[in-house]
Amino acid sequence: MKLLQNIILIIIGIYVLTLGLVYVDVYDSRPIISLFKNMQSDSSLEVVDFSVDKKDSSKTKPKPNKNRNPYYGDLHVHTKYSFDAYVFGVTASPDDAYRYAKGEGVNHPLGYEMKLREPLDFYSVTDHGFYMGMIQAYADTSTDISQNNFAEPFHNLNRLDNLTVESAGERSNIFSSVLGATIIKPYPDWHPKLLKAYFTRNTQGALRSFDYDIHKSAWADVARSANEHNDPGHFTTFIGYEYTTSTDIEGGNLHRNVIFNSSKASIRPWTRIDSINPEDLWTWQDKLREKGVDTISIPHNSNGSNGQMFEMETFKGNALNTEYAKKRMRNEPIVEITQVKGTSDTHPLLSPDDEWADFEIMDVRVGSRPPTYSKPSGSYVREAYLNGLTLEFTRQGNPYKFGLIGSTDTHVVAASLDESNYWSKIGLLDGDPENRGSVPLKEENVERLEEYMQAFNQPISTVSLEQGEYANTGFTQWGASGLAAVWAEENTRESIFNAFRRKETFATTGTRIAVRFFGGYDLSSIDLNSESIVSEAYQKGVTMGSDLLNDENKNPEFLVWAQRDKNGAPLQRIQIIKGWIDANSGRPKEKVFDVACSDGLQPDSFTNRCPDNGARVNINDCSITSNVGSSELKTIWKDPEFVPSDKTFYYVRVLENPTCRWSTWDAIKAGYKPREGLHETIQERAWSSPIWYIPEQSDIEVIPLGGTIQLRNID
Amino acid sequence: MKYKISIFFIIGLTLYLTDIGSNSYDKKEIYISDQEIISLVNAWKSQVGRNPNDDEIARIINNLVEEEILYREALKLGLDKEDRIIKRRLAQKISFLKQESNPSPPSNEDLINYYNENHDKYFIDSSYTFSHYFFSSENNSKKRSSKAYKDLLNNISINSDPFFLGKSFVDINQRKIKSEFGRDFALNFKDVELDKWIGPIESPFGHHIIYVTNYIEGYIPDISNVLKQVEVDFLQSQRDVAIENYLNQIRSEYKIYINPNLQI
Repeated sequence: MKLLQNIILIIIGIYVLTLGLVYVDVYDSRPIISLFKNMQSDSSLEVVDFSVDKKDSSKTKPKPNKNRNPYYGDLHVHTKYSFDAYVFGVTASPDDAYRYAKGEGVNHPLGYEMKLREPLDFYSVTDHGFYMGMIQAYADTSTDISQNNFAEPFHNLNRLDNLTVESAGERSNIFSSVLGATIIKPYPDWHPKLLKAYFTRNTQGALRSFDYDIHKSAWADVARSANEHNDPGHFTTFIGYEYTTSTDIEGGNLHRNVIFNSSKASIRPWTRIDSINPEDLWTWQDKLREKGVDTISIPHNSNGSNGQMFEMETFKGNALNTEYAKKRMRNEPIVEITQVKGTSDTHPLLSPDDEWADFEIMDVRVGSRPPTYSKPSGSYVREAYLNGLTLEFTRQGNPYKFGLIGSTDTHVVAASLDESNYWSKIGLLDGDPENRGSVPLKEENVERLEEYMQAFNQPISTVSLEQGEYANTGFTQWGASGLAAVWAEENTRESIFNAFRRKETFATTGTRIAVRFFGGYDLSSIDLNSESIVSEAYQKGVTMGSDLLNDENKNPEFLVWAQRDKNGAPLQRIQIIKGWIDANSGRPKEKVFDVACSDGLQPDSFTNRCPDNGARVNINDCSITSNVGSSELKTIWKDPEFVPSDKTFYYVRVLENPTCRWSTWDAIKAGYKPREGLHETIQERAWSSPIWYIPEQSDIEVIPLGGTIQLRNID
Repeated sequence: MKYKISIFFIIGLTLYLTDIGSNSYDKKEIYISDQEIISLVNAWKSQVGRNPNDDEIARIINNLVEEEILYREALKLGLDKEDRIIKRRLAQKISFLKQESNPSPPSNEDLINYYNENHDKYFIDSSYTFSHYFFSSENNSKKRSSKAYKDLLNNISINSDPFFLGKSFVDINQRKIKSEFGRDFALNFKDVELDKWIGPIESPFGHHIIYVTNYIEGYIPDISNVLKQVEVDFLQSQRDVAIENYLNQIRSEYKIYINPNLQI
């Protein structure tokens, strides 16, 4: 008896001691405790091959094209497994998402069919990694976890009779309770689950509302679905998820999509519960890469980051250095410049001389309640490119040398790409024109909206305009955008993933404009009417995403060639956007050059602008002027203001003739005039990844202020 | 002794029956549970960011009471009876419940049957190998292409434009041709003759003269090659079938009358 008592006491003693050591380890960082770290296993580094045995080798695969083909896709798609999508009424699965991308119709939570005009070439389901699959399990009353108090509000949330616009208030409320972390309560300190979470480095395991098995099975289903729908040569899928992090206090959006290069992936997504610091995500990606699994993470909605996405300091507020730059570029070669929640090329305040800067601007922080202004500086791509050059100038490395893609961020599994057939992206909350704010509210809906907007912590639910009361939901700043496009040899995972890594990518606002872009010193020797333009250009120059090294101070030449979307409007012009650091003044500068104009017009050599081609939109029926605009535009351009010693980047922007914006389409279809204060038309566009001109290494020594800090040199 | 106990039993039963027989809503008594109030107060708090004051709590409770009263009066008046929205919601609710039931794993026979019934789904598109001369709509394509076609037949060298997506396409399928050159252009590949100049064909980009050298007819692959996909599709179809079966089974119990003279 006494022996037994002693054994129990010893066990309790060891347990308490372990708890104590873990406590010290977690809240302290004295080196003695790090001995303990060797005993931890890292659950996020376990690699699983999710490939499915699928024989369809009989199918002919098109031959790879060494001159590369353009492929269009979406790398940002949510399904029911995302905590918010499920709350927004989405019950469609990853399988549904891939079927949609291949051209089949799927249903919106409000019941109507969504279908692509043309199938896409690649697609990746990227559900929020954080709490993936959990909300669905709360709602399903047959699971154990749904029996807990915190799961009650979710019970049978998406039963069909609740898939109504009227449930929007309840939904936004629940959405906020997840975001507000009210359900994220850990087990008490002594609980064995806490120890297990510690020893497997799996923090989420310590949360009461979390079930690891459910989580893993949702992730396994995402991976299975991707592998099952992958069809080399015809349709490519990627295993992926969204790392949904933000800065702590002001809620600066730091979301990223993590894309895997093969059928293999980690056993679970690495999420904001592991760390809210993106630099830790990159560390995890680096470790995973050592295990043979390559990933990239793609930042999005920098526009709603309140200046945090492209900051001039680290997450913790330290100075940037070359190590940071290398680590970021190793893991984040491309950035999503446009999506439903606005476009992040530039902002009118940042680029006052760019007449096309005021394009689909979303000026609030992502998910902020009430909507809160997002500071433009640090939030837009063009400025980040410039800041990257400044950082290089001060020998801190360039962490902002990324390529560009677009994607939609749809939460209803179906990418919304077409202005004339738009469903926005968050299901029941914005799936109809009244809630989106494009047509006046019916009287009976005014009150409902009030309740709904209260849930958004937005006291002013409607605005009174000439045609009536409009929803003040903020969705008017969203739009039908965008697409990720790559130049790749063939439509396979390997080939497309390599294009991401090379940054041989471009972004569009949903239209399928295609654009080639090369830089070199002997491109003018290429005959633009010969069949060998592209192969010669690859030979004589570099393409989008690359560096163009100084060659005896010669003036670089650029070859651009764009083709219209056969279903879209004709092309209006090609522009080259130049950004540089003036070596004399040390200041960043930018300039937009029109380099090719439609209808045989020529850019004015003084203003660098194309003359008006006369393309107009009839706002009463959205028809456009016929017979103006071009089916293709191509040119070779030389920078007239080139300075060999300036660090410079060049990227292409291709503009279509103007067409109706979705809000105008919505209004016309419902028999109204377009809502006042919104842009009635837009110019769909494409952006290439930049080409960076690298001058000769300058011998100017950089002396930091104070002169006490030794900056690392570039190797 | 036994008899006496039975009396109590019968009295109890009568009381019980009268109780459940009478609609408790008729009693004009309303019970508001603590939990209901607390959850409303919490919701209020999460929206506004502070606890409601006494006045506000009173208003919350008052709203709840009024809602309950109106609901009961509406039931009394039979307002739930002919309301299409309420009917539809209840209908949707039951179909949701039916959809939840899990289908059992399919047998080989199931899969073969499904494949036989749906093999069009697995059709592999025809594919073509061709090359083309392109005449851009930016440069008088109609006239130039018709002249070029005549020159080609007479072996005179011609002057065409480079096409954005290239000159030659190897094993490109019908669907891809449609997505890259447009629907009308793709139609020309149906029953196309090999090793012959064909054109000019118009596309959204201009005019083309094509030369097809190879063609693989579309076919339906053997089930063994698409087994996994068949299984996935079969399971999906089973979920849809579950609700349909339920409906069919019940539908037969109903006689349905629709006015054949209705004009819409």
